[in-house]
Amino acid sequence: MSNHRAIHSVALALASLMLTGAAVTACGGGARAVRGSDVKGLDDAAMSTGLDKRDLEQMLHENMESLQNSALVKRWEGENRPAVAVLSMRNDTSEHIDSVLQALITDVETQLVNAGHVRVISRDSQPEMIAEVNKQQSDAFDASTVARLGQQVGARYFVTGRVYNADERQSGERRVQYFLFMRVLDVQTGDILWQNKADVTKAIVK
Amino acid sequence: MGARSILILRGHPAPRAGQTAKRSRTKPGRSWAAAALLIAGVASGCASHSDHTKAARSALDAGNAQKALELYNKRLEVEDAKDLPKNVGGDNTVLILDRAMILQQLQNYKLSSRDLEVADKQIEVLDFSRKAIDDIGKYLFSDETGPYKAPFYEKLLINTQNMLNYLQQQDLNGARIEARRLAVMQSFISDHEGEGAALIGPGSYFAGFIFEKSGDPQEALRYYDEALQFSDFKSLAPVVRRLAAKGSYRTKRIQAILDAGGGGTAEDAAPSELLVVVNHGRVPAKVPKRIPIGLALTYASAFISPANAAQANQLAAQGLVTWINYPALEKEGRLAIPELIVDGTDQPIELGLSVDSEAVKAWDEARGALVASAITRMITRVLAGEVARKASGGGTLGALLSLGTQAALTANDVPDTRSWATLPARIGIARLPLPPGKHDVQVVLGPDRRRQTVEIPPGGYAVVCVTDLR
Repeated sequence: MSNHRAIHSVALALASLMLTGAAVTACGGGARAVRGSDVKGLDDAAMSTGLDKRDLEQMLHENMESLQNSALVKRWEGENRPAVAVLSMRNDTSEHIDSVLQALITDVETQLVNAGHVRVISRDSQPEMIAEVNKQQSDAFDASTVARLGQQVGARYFVTGRVYNADERQSGERRVQYFLFMRVLDVQTGDILWQNKADVTKAIVK
Repeated sequence: MGARSILILRGHPAPRAGQTAKRSRTKPGRSWAAAALLIAGVASGCASHSDHTKAARSALDAGNAQKALELYNKRLEVEDAKDLPKNVGGDNTVLILDRAMILQQLQNYKLSSRDLEVADKQIEVLDFSRKAIDDIGKYLFSDETGPYKAPFYEKLLINTQNMLNYLQQQDLNGARIEARRLAVMQSFISDHEGEGAALIGPGSYFAGFIFEKSGDPQEALRYYDEALQFSDFKSLAPVVRRLAAKGSYRTKRIQAILDAGGGGTAEDAAPSELLVVVNHGRVPAKVPKRIPIGLALTYASAFISPANAAQANQLAAQGLVTWINYPALEKEGRLAIPELIVDGTDQPIELGLSVDSEAVKAWDEARGALVASAITRMITRVLAGEVARKASGGGTLGALLSLGTQAALTANDVPDTRSWATLPARIGIARLPLPPGKHDVQVVLGPDRRRQTVEIPPGGYAVVCVTDLR
C-alpha cells in the first residue's frame, strides 16, 4: 500500500514538474529603476552593442592623450591660445549613436578648454555656421573650403572626426568594433596637423 | 494560470525526510480534492499570442488603426504610444514590432522608428539567448516555450521599414544606419540560409536610394544591383545609367542595362524625384489549428523518429489521441490593387515584395518540425496521464487524475502563434522624375484614397509612404 502511495506521489511530482515547467514559460520578471551611484559596477556592464559612457571615455581618453603628447600642442603653446572649433563627429556606424556623438563633442571641447592651450569657439554662439561647416564635411576636406569656413567661424584650427565600425554577426554573437578617428586641420592651409584612431569592441555573446 | 497550477500541487508536496509516515497517510478526500482542483485549474488555460492580438487585428481590418494602437498599448501595459513597456524583451518585442507598423500607418514615423529600433535590438538578443532547454520545452510543455525566433524575412524587414520611416522624415543619416544594419543582417542570413534568402528587393532598393541621395554613387550602385538581382525593377534602369558615370561598380546586370541604352545618361543632372512606397494588406497571422493525428503524422514524417511515430499511431489506434493542435496561418483576405495618381495622371506601381508569400514559404518550411513537436508533446501528455492513472490504482480517482494531468498539460500547451502580424502583405514602389515644386499625390486602395501635396526641391526628392494594414 505504501508502495502504491509512493507511486502516487511520484505521479503527482511528475505532473508537478511538468505543470511547473509549463507555468514558468508563462511568467515574466519585474523591473525597477536604480541609481548608478547606488549600484556598484552598474556602468561596467555592457547593455548593448551601442556606445555608452564608458566606451566614449575610453576612446576619447586615448585620442586626447595622443593629442596632448603631439607636436601640435607645443605649436599651440607658442601661438598664445589660438581659436579652435570642434565640428561634429560623423556617424558612419550601423548604430544610432548620434546623441552619444553630441556628448562626445562636448567632452572634446571640455578637455581642450581645461587643458588651456587653446580658446574653444562655442558651438552655441555660431550654430548656423557650424551647421554649414558640417554640411561640407567629407573624407576629403577641400583646403579652400576649410579656409573660407574657418575664417567665417573665426577659427585657426578645426577638430573633426568620425566614428565608424566593423559589424559582424555569427551564430553565437554579434561583434561591433568601433573606431573613433579624430584629426586637427589647419584652417589656413587645410593641412592635417594631427590625427589618431582609438577603438573599442562591443559584442553580444552567448 | 501558472500560479493556480502550482497551488494545486502544493496539496501534494513530495515527502520530505522524516515526514514519510505522516505523508503516506494521504486521506482519500485530499486526493479527490486535488484531482478536482487539477481539472478546475485547466479551465483557465493559456491563450495564445494570436488570441491576445485578435481584437487589434480586427480593428485594423475595420480600418481603425487608432483603436488597434490603443489595444496594443493596453497589451504592453502603457498608456501612450510614446511609452515603452518596462520590459521590451520577451514576447513584448513582437508586440512592439506590431505597434511600429500601426504607428507608421498613423504617420507617426518618429515613434514607429523608435519601436523598430528597440525591437531590432531585442530580436538580436532573443536570437542569442535561445538555449537548448527552450527547444526541449517545445517538445515537453508548450510550443510557446522560449524566446521568440523571428524568421529571416521579418529580420530583414525591420531595417527595410525603418529606412522608410527615416526617408519620410528626410533623415538620411538615420536611413543610412538602417541600410548598414540591413547589410549586416543580409550577410548573416546569406551565410546561414543561402544567398537567396538574404535578398530582399525593397530593402536593397531603398538602401540604394539612400546612398544615391547621400552622394555615394558607388554604394548606391551596389545596392541597386542587389535589388535588380531580386527583381527586374524597371524604374532603376535610368537611375543606374545615370549613376554608372559616377561610380565604377559593375555587374552583368548593371552592364546589361548600360548596353541596352535608353533614357538617363551620365550627362543628365540628378532630377527632382518622387518616391512612393505603398505598404498594404497584412501577412497572414498564425492561429492555433486542430488537425487529425493521421494528417499530422504525414506533415511531420520527416521530422519525427520512427519510435515516436509508432507510439503516436498506437495511441491513435487506442482512441487516446485524435487531434493535434499546432500553429497554422490564417486565411488571407483579398488584397486591393493600389493605384497611384500624380498631378491627375495614373502612374505605375512596381511590386517590390510579396511579404505574404515569404511568410507562407517560411511557414511551409517550418511546418513539419512544428507538427513533430506537437505530436511529441501529445505523447508526453498521454503518458503522464497514464502514469497518474496507474499510480492512483485506477478506478474513478485514477481516471480523474489522468484526465486532470492531461487536461492541465493540454491547457498549458500553447501553439506558438507569435509572429510580426502587422507586416504588410505587399510592398509596392513607384519612382518618377518630376519638375521641382508642388505636386498632388493620390494613392487609391480599394474604397480609400490618400491624398497629399508634396514639395520637391530642385535636384531633391520627396518620399510618400502609404501604409494601410487591412
